[in-house]
Amino acid sequence: MTDAIVAEGLRREYGDTAALDGVSLSVGAGEVFALVGPNGAGKTTLVRALTGTTTLDSGSVSVLGDHPRNLDRSRLGLLPQSFDPPERLTARELVAYYAGLYDEARDPGSVLESVGMDDDATWYEKLSGGQQRRTCVGTALVNDPDVLFLDEPTTGIDPAGRRALWSLVEDLAASGTTVFLTTHDMAEAERLADRVGLLADGRLVAVGSPAELVAEFGGRTRVVVDLTTDTTDIPASADAAASALADAGFEVETTDDSLVVRGVSPEDIGEVVAALDAEAVAYDALAWTEPDLEDAFLELAGRSVADGDPTALAGMNDDVGENHGETAVAEGDR
Amino acid sequence: MTAASRVRAEATAAWHSFVRRRTAVFFTFFFPVILILIFAVLVGTNPGGGGLFAEPAGYYLPGYLAVVVLFTPLSRVGSTVARHREGNRFEKLATTPLTRAEWLLAHTLVNAAIIGLAGLIILGLMALVTDATLTLGPVSLLLVAAFVALASVVFCGLGAVLGSTADSQDGVIAASNAIALPLLFLSETFVTPDLLPAWFRPAMDLSPLTYFARGVRELTFSGGAFGGDLLVLAGLALAFFAAGAYAIPETD
Repeated sequence: MTDAIVAEGLRREYGDTAALDGVSLSVGAGEVFALVGPNGAGKTTLVRALTGTTTLDSGSVSVLGDHPRNLDRSRLGLLPQSFDPPERLTARELVAYYAGLYDEARDPGSVLESVGMDDDATWYEKLSGGQQRRTCVGTALVNDPDVLFLDEPTTGIDPAGRRALWSLVEDLAASGTTVFLTTHDMAEAERLADRVGLLADGRLVAVGSPAELVAEFGGRTRVVVDLTTDTTDIPASADAAASALADAGFEVETTDDSLVVRGVSPEDIGEVVAALDAEAVAYDALAWTEPDLEDAFLELAGRSVADGDPTALAGMNDDVGENHGETAVAEGDR
Repeated sequence: MTAASRVRAEATAAWHSFVRRRTAVFFTFFFPVILILIFAVLVGTNPGGGGLFAEPAGYYLPGYLAVVVLFTPLSRVGSTVARHREGNRFEKLATTPLTRAEWLLAHTLVNAAIIGLAGLIILGLMALVTDATLTLGPVSLLLVAAFVALASVVFCGLGAVLGSTADSQDGVIAASNAIALPLLFLSETFVTPDLLPAWFRPAMDLSPLTYFARGVRELTFSGGAFGGDLLVLAGLALAFFAAGAYAIPETD
C-alpha cells in the first residue's frame, strides 16, 4: 500500500508543554485512519501538523509525497475543529464559496445532499448545531480531495446524522479517498477506521486495527450484575456470590452496586446466574458484554495517565510508521 | 483567471456578509451623514475668524473623507481577521488554493467599494448642505477615487496587521482606535500644520493619511500639484498591502 501520509518524529511545544512529542505514523492511500485520545492529548495539533497549519519544532511531514504546504491544495480537504465559517451565508452559499476557491469543484447542491443537508436557504448561524457541522463537513468535500482530514466531524450531530456521515466516509474510502479523522466516539472509530491510533500526552501510544486493539487491550468478556441495593455497602449475599465465583476461577470485581465477573464465555453465563441464585442475590439487571474499542481506549489512556510517563507505552513510536495492519505496542508494558 | 475567480469568490462572500448585517450597513453609511451634519453644518466654518473650523468649508473635504478611509478598513479588516482567527477560518483557507494576498485583495476590494459609497455620500452632502466650493470635474473625481482606493489599500493592510497581532477582536478595536485617532488629527486633515509646533510638523510626513489629505485637497480645493502625493501613497499602499498579506496567519 502506498503511503498517503507520512510523519516522522513530530514535535511541537507550546511553552513548557509538548503537544506532540515525537509522533511518527503513516497512513496508506485509501485508508481510513482514526485518531483517538483524551482531551488535550494533541489530536488537533497533529491534524495541524499533517496539514501544514502549524509550525513544527522538529520532525517532517509528507502528504502525497510533498510537504503539505507545497502540495497541490486541491488534493487536500480539511474540516478544522471548532470551525466557524463566514457569517450571513446560507449553507448553499457557504459550500459554493469554498467551491469557488478551486479550479474544479463539485456542485454545491450535490455536496449538501451527500452530507444530508436538506435546508440550504437558512443562514448558517441560524442552523442547528448538527446542521452546521454537516455543512462544515460539506465544505471539506467540495474539491473532491484525495486526502481528507476531519477533526471531530460528528461532534454535535444527532445519531441519524452521524450514521449518514459515517456512510459518507465509507463511500469516500471506497472511492479511494484517504481519510484521517479524529474522534471521541469509539463506535465511530471502530466502524469507520481501518486503523486506529491512540494519542496520549502528545505521544502515539498504540496503533492497530480496531479488532487488534480490542483483542490486545480490551480485556476479557464480562458479566455486569446491577445489584438491587439501597445502601452504599455491597450486600453480604453478593459478597458470598463473588467469593463463590472467584473460587470457580472467575475474576470478580465488586463495587457498591454492581458485580463485574470477567472472563465469562457465553456458556459460562448460566454458572454465574446459578451462583447468584444460590446466594439469593437480588439484582436488577445482568448483562454479558464483549470488550470494545472503548475498553481498549480506557485501558491504554488509563495506563498512560497512571504511569505519568507515556513513554512506557510509546516505545513503539519508531515503528508505527511502518506498521500497517499490525498492532503496535510497547512490549514492556503488556 | 483562477486567481481572479478565487478573489471573486472571497469578495462575494465578504460582500454578502457585510450587506446582510443591517446594523453595520446602516451605521457605515449613516456615519458620514452625521459627520457632515455635525461638523460641516452644525459647527460650520468661520473662514479667517478663528474657531474650530477656521478654513473654508472645502478645505475640510479631505478630512471628512479621511475619517471613512481610515476608520472603516482599520476596524473592519482588523476585526474580520480576528474573527477568522478565532473561527479557525485561516486554518481551513491555508489548505485551499486561496493565497493570503488574494484574501486581502478580496477584502480590500469590498472595503474600497464601501468606502467609495460612503465617500460619494460625503461629496453629495458637501455639495448639497454646505457652502463648500469644490473644484471637481470628471477627471479630478476619478483621481480622488484613486486616492481613496490607494488609502483604502494602505489601511486594509494596516488593519490586517492589527488583526493578526492582536489577541482578540476587542484588542483590534482598541488598537485601531489608538492608532486612528492620532493619525486623523495629525495628518493635515482637520488640524492645519500651523496649529502644531514647528518641531512636530516633519512628523506629519510619516502618516500615510497626510499624503491622502494633501493630494485630495490639491485636487478638490487648492488646485495644486498632487502627483507626488499620489506616488507616495501608491508606494505606501504596496508596502502596507505586502505587510498585511504577510501578517495574515497561515499557521496557528
